[in-house]
Amino acid sequence: MTRKLRPYDQPPRRKRTLIPSAPDSAAGLFLVVAILWLLAAAGLGILAVGTRLFPDLLKVSFSVPLGSGIEVDITRTTIDPAFVDALVFGWLTNAAFAAIFFVTPRLTGTRLKSDAVANMGLAAWNLALAAGITLLYVKGASGLGSLAEFPLPVKGLAVLGLVAVNGAFWRTMLPIRELPYVSFLYFGISLLALLGLFALSAIPGVISLGSTNDQLLWAFTARGIVTYWVLGSTLGALYYVIPRVTRNPLYSGGLAFLGFFGWLAFAGLSAIGALVDPSVPYVITSLGQAGTLLLLAPTFLALANLLATMSGRWSLIFSPGTIQFAVAGVAFLFVTAMLESVGALRSVQRLTAGTDWGLGVLVLGLFGGSTLAFYAFADHALPRILRRAWSEGFLVHGQLWTAFAGAALAGFAMIGGGLVQGSLLAQGGTPDQLNLTLLAFRAAAAAGLSLIALGGFTLLVNVFLLYTEGRPAEYAVPSVDAASAAVAGR
Amino acid sequence: MTPHAPIPTRPGLPRWALGLTVFVFLVGAVYLGSNLSGTNPPIAGGPSASPGAGGGSAAALAIINQAGCKACHGPDLAGVPPTFPDLHGLQGGPTVDNLKQLGQQHPKDWMNVWIAGTDPSVSNAAMRKGMPAFGGPPYNLTPRQIDTIVKYLLSLK
Repeated sequence: MTRKLRPYDQPPRRKRTLIPSAPDSAAGLFLVVAILWLLAAAGLGILAVGTRLFPDLLKVSFSVPLGSGIEVDITRTTIDPAFVDALVFGWLTNAAFAAIFFVTPRLTGTRLKSDAVANMGLAAWNLALAAGITLLYVKGASGLGSLAEFPLPVKGLAVLGLVAVNGAFWRTMLPIRELPYVSFLYFGISLLALLGLFALSAIPGVISLGSTNDQLLWAFTARGIVTYWVLGSTLGALYYVIPRVTRNPLYSGGLAFLGFFGWLAFAGLSAIGALVDPSVPYVITSLGQAGTLLLLAPTFLALANLLATMSGRWSLIFSPGTIQFAVAGVAFLFVTAMLESVGALRSVQRLTAGTDWGLGVLVLGLFGGSTLAFYAFADHALPRILRRAWSEGFLVHGQLWTAFAGAALAGFAMIGGGLVQGSLLAQGGTPDQLNLTLLAFRAAAAAGLSLIALGGFTLLVNVFLLYTEGRPAEYAVPSVDAASAAVAGR
Repeated sequence: MTPHAPIPTRPGLPRWALGLTVFVFLVGAVYLGSNLSGTNPPIAGGPSASPGAGGGSAAALAIINQAGCKACHGPDLAGVPPTFPDLHGLQGGPTVDNLKQLGQQHPKDWMNVWIAGTDPSVSNAAMRKGMPAFGGPPYNLTPRQIDTIVKYLLSLK
């Protein structure tokens, strides 16, 4: 008979805290939340294309009988910004935070200070984002335009979340005395840029600078968030994942720093290029647009550095997993950088202004480049966070190909449709003619976004299967000695 | 948590990288040099801005469709009397009584002021009778977009 323990023989109960603080808890939670936002963003993307295909069918307005009545408006005007916000601030930002909190302790040798603060940042940021996107549909609750036009209290909560995330990162990084690895340079600057730009975008909510100046400020911050935060965090994640998985040293430290400083300078100039208004001196806008052109150089240098790092390990492309995602992400990033440079030319802008071109380039870069880069990170990080191995199934292949095909189909369909749309508008085409001609492009874009949503769902299923059925595994990292020998030997 | 290990980095900088950077700088400088003087178009207002920042009836109709004007003024903008006025024949000024004074005060741009709705003289709810202020949230039409609509409406006879 089993002897029952007396109360004072029982081991002390582990105290559970409300806010998780275990190692890697922040990285894991941010990644799971990010995947949920990916599904939301893809769904909103399908709706965004749907409002172009069936503008009258998908226009819904109704009143909620609460107090004096809340009017809800679901149209293209409200769905487009919700889609971009869910994509950038939901999926990509949470995935980037996960990458930062996964990479930081592993490269510094110091435990994150602290996971609890980072998790509080997660709660604040995502609550603010959910509230902000919901309020986009409530008439009069918020402005409708580029990124980050949430009401002031929502922005305040989001800024608090960003402060918490920055705090957890910088408290860990600042005591480190040695020169940081290039990923940290990208992460650090892009985190500060996100906080600064997001706070800047809150100014019109406090003091209106005038309708035009408010719009200029929002355009500047939106562009800055894409060039600094999204591009920077994506490159930072790739700079960790590719050398780690290939077990090769980074091809060139000089190339990494040259690319970093180029990005630091030209990302800001590119944001200035969004200041397009008669009140802004023409030469200032031209300088900004030259910055967008010049941004091609540091992007290309970083991508070339990463691809050269894979030297001798190209066979990894034929195995499903991290490197496949990473290389696909690199390819999309390069194409997006080229299209952005071309799109900065005024002659191209005259043709594409107000068309689907801009959204198509955004879809290609964010759903293609950045999403696949963060898929690569998730593929590498999740088994190490959960201490389980991926299963060998078709779902991993499915995740890659649906994401790749979806981003390519949606992005290029919108870009092609945008060019045709611009051309027809310039010729004075009627709305019926426009809708008929663009029908095929928009249907293809909807199909592409559906594939992306399927890819996101596949990732969610993969994560679920990893957690519930994955076999336990302990992961080792290559020894420092072996890696140094590889550097010296070449 | 997997143990810590730094990622080694090979020193040095390939020469082609410097060459590429200089080349891209030159391209940027040439672009800047050829775009020093001119006038910017008005800001389009971000991703949710309606299409057709340029002029033309197609652009105007796109803005009208997105703003939902036809929901009240009818599919052909002929209005739904007596509540929603006909938008044809406005070349001579306002055709409804509550806007006659506005037409006298702003003979050249009364339609712009009325559609925008942000001026205090036209933002009164009793005067607007449910007409949204398209210059403010959530529509945020720019002055140029409103101008495009006005030009189109003035072409309707």
